[in-house]
Amino acid sequence: MGGMIQDEGSSSVTSSPLQFFSLMSLSPNLGSPYPWLRELKSEERGLYLIHLILSCANHVAAGSLENANIGLEQISHLASPDGDTMQRIAAYFTEALADRILKAWPGLHKALNSTRISSISEGILVQRLFFELCPFLKLSYVITNQAIIEAMEGEKMVHIIDLHSAEPAQWIALLQALSARPEGPPHLRITGIHEQKEVLEQTAIRLTEEAEKLDIAFQFNPIVCKLENLDVESLRVKTGEALAISSVLQLHYILASDDELLRKKSPPTSKNSNSVHLQRVLQMNQSTLGELLEKDLINGHSPSPDSASSSPQSLAASAKMESFLTALWGLSPKLMVVTEQESNHNGSTLMERLFEALYFYAALFDCLESTLSRASMERLKVEKMLFGEEIKNIIACEGAERKERHEKLEKWIQRLDLAGFGKVPLSYYGLLQAKRLLLSYGCDGYRIKEENGCLVICWQDRSLFSVSAWRCRRYD
Amino acid sequence: MPVELENSSPVTVSTASGEASVTSSGNQTAIQAATQKKKRNLPGMPDPDAEVIALSPKTLMTTNRFVCEICKKGFQRDQNLQLHRRGHNLPWKLRQRSSKEVRKRVYVCPEASCVHHHPSRALGDLTGIKKHFSRKHGEKKWKCDKCSKKYAVQSDWKAHSKTCGTREYRCDCGTLFSRRDSFITHRAFCDALAEESARAQTVPNSNSEEDPKLQIVATSSPPPPASSSTIISAVLPIQTPELPENPTGFRSGVNGNSSNSVFASLFASATAAGNLQPQSAAFSDLICAMACSERQTHIAPEPTSLCLSSTNGSSLFAAAQDRRQYASASQPGMSATALLQKAAQMGATATNASLLRGLGIALSGGSSGQDESLQWNHHVEVEGGSGPGLRELMMGSSSLFGPKPTTLDFLGLGMNGGGAPVGGFSALIKSMGGGLDGGPEIKPNSSLL
Repeated sequence: MGGMIQDEGSSSVTSSPLQFFSLMSLSPNLGSPYPWLRELKSEERGLYLIHLILSCANHVAAGSLENANIGLEQISHLASPDGDTMQRIAAYFTEALADRILKAWPGLHKALNSTRISSISEGILVQRLFFELCPFLKLSYVITNQAIIEAMEGEKMVHIIDLHSAEPAQWIALLQALSARPEGPPHLRITGIHEQKEVLEQTAIRLTEEAEKLDIAFQFNPIVCKLENLDVESLRVKTGEALAISSVLQLHYILASDDELLRKKSPPTSKNSNSVHLQRVLQMNQSTLGELLEKDLINGHSPSPDSASSSPQSLAASAKMESFLTALWGLSPKLMVVTEQESNHNGSTLMERLFEALYFYAALFDCLESTLSRASMERLKVEKMLFGEEIKNIIACEGAERKERHEKLEKWIQRLDLAGFGKVPLSYYGLLQAKRLLLSYGCDGYRIKEENGCLVICWQDRSLFSVSAWRCRRYD
Repeated sequence: MPVELENSSPVTVSTASGEASVTSSGNQTAIQAATQKKKRNLPGMPDPDAEVIALSPKTLMTTNRFVCEICKKGFQRDQNLQLHRRGHNLPWKLRQRSSKEVRKRVYVCPEASCVHHHPSRALGDLTGIKKHFSRKHGEKKWKCDKCSKKYAVQSDWKAHSKTCGTREYRCDCGTLFSRRDSFITHRAFCDALAEESARAQTVPNSNSEEDPKLQIVATSSPPPPASSSTIISAVLPIQTPELPENPTGFRSGVNGNSSNSVFASLFASATAAGNLQPQSAAFSDLICAMACSERQTHIAPEPTSLCLSSTNGSSLFAAAQDRRQYASASQPGMSATALLQKAAQMGATATNASLLRGLGIALSGGSSGQDESLQWNHHVEVEGGSGPGLRELMMGSSSLFGPKPTTLDFLGLGMNGGGAPVGGFSALIKSMGGGLDGGPEIKPNSSLL
């Protein structure tokens, strides 16, 4: 460390030793081995960070942990959760990579995570912050609600199933819109699904309150369960009522359970089970980590429901997803609106996912950068507790643990089509309203475009979220 | 009046059964028990056991079916006629509700092309079917004096007149709207608005934007020459520091329009978090004012009112407004997305040797650099056609930052040369070295410097 500073010699690059000395004096922290790093302009530093992340990730994927460690060390001098966008992204990506490495020592990993305090209210707060700070959820709600209103024109009994009922704002807006219908509001029933009872209770209170104010016959049915364990019978869909299903960033979680099933099914080709799950491998074999990772690479990865190919086989492999969609289809919904992340984070290899995630989350971080100051605590919370956790899940986890299996719209279209749903083009009016909301939002970079009857919400040119509407297709 | 009774098949929809309603003349009168709340059927699902009654248009449109023979005064209900007959000392008879259960009656619209003509879509209320018939198939005799809207049912007209003109929207281009949905649609396309957005500045407006309030001015100003409508009062997007005394004046004047409220509450929170440019003036200020007023008072419930979604969110809303900073002016630098694209582009173009030379990168390490890239590519399943190529991204960074065996060990384990660039990208490249593969290489690179 010290050698860097003490040595002058022929150290000057393009300039005189004098400049080097002046550079030294500029850097306040003489302890840092890389004072010149501070002089990097933001752009250069950003580019360098990208390089470092990629090379480090490569080392992780290749199993050369020593190099990965060096890479992480290097990045740590430049990355920072308080810095500019690229610095923040680097911070979270490297945390994810480190987490991935650490999972190879399950004891260590568990010990480090054992005293983590996770409070429900913090989680709820972060979700609400995301709703407030970024327009994506609002846009999704506006578009979803508009599709529901159009589909339910003339219907007197409406039942809505919300696959993740955490944000009452969506339904409050719908209640208001329905009460202003020329034919009067329908009798409305909303069934909300969530893992936490408290959240559903809150939602129920808020919605019933609003419905009372507007004098709408309303009923809220809470269902406390994990989405993948949903029993459609418990939804109690009645004949004669018009059913709409709203899925906002939820469907991709079902894909995770498929992976686990597949891993169990796939026949082992070696002594170890054929997976990249280091924990299992570690238990079965006492070899060094490096060897283990090498073996992993040689054996390849077990087939997981990924998006590397779009062949029917890879789709058919997602049995859980199919059965889930079929169950929903069996309810004969008049409308189902699906909002999903428009990016492929379900590739089977780390590098694939890392690349896609880099672009995707870079755009999301850019959104926040243009909305809030760097000192904002709320921004930090969303970045850390929402985006950071998603990144960690995408990068560090495998198998059933890897829940954030985002896929692109074209794959969802295939899946839904296979399950018997027919696409319903979203109306132009919905698009108008969404554009209007963006205008009033006042921030320039957001775009929304129509693609094949679906709407895609973008930041600058980067597609981020897709919204599509479906109906239950029978006999055609 | 002859009443045509049509006995049609019962409706095959299962619901809770209702109670007796007012019956037509000639049958028993039913007296509603004041204490017992009338149970309503669910909308759109008439009682399957109900008697379906089809009245002729003439019968439907007659206001008073019960006429006093003495003074020819008309009444809508037989009961009222009976009570009136007492005044003439005529024999009168008020009938109690009969012992047997009176069958519920539902009514169909006589107009054959109408949806409600079918018994399954019958309406449960006589008054309801009368109003429906007037509205849909009748002549609109009642006209609003402020705007040009016409109504067939007097009660509709009255309801409208109460709210007509109480609220206007003005676009920046000068056009006035009484209806919110037309206003919104217009603004989405308005040229003036587009121009304003094009001139978007990034300087945050600290004074007036911090807490925009809306003041509705119900003054009678002479109508602008451009406007041909008779709208008098104008809504001014003025930001005054004080809240208007009557925040409950924030009633949206739009009746029966489902479009606006879809996002009203969402809009409210939208503008709080985003930037409020002065030019997206009227509407967003409107929304924000909604927000502010909601904070102060609870807006009285009205179907189309711009209520905020967050009733417990007053604290959040306060926080939202405080938070509203457009930070871009103070945060220069390339966005991360742009950086990624640039890195990829550099990769795509950096295969040119002269470019590399220009950047001061020695090519002696080129071969190993390529090996590195190849090795990387081996592990990468590159998906075709996904934006700036992933391959390019890797190659880009590798060619610029990749390891050069003749360069210094980056770790500084043997960093003899110091290699501190004073600035400038090229200098940086020169001094940065490889060694990312581990294995310290202690080689002076004075040749590069």
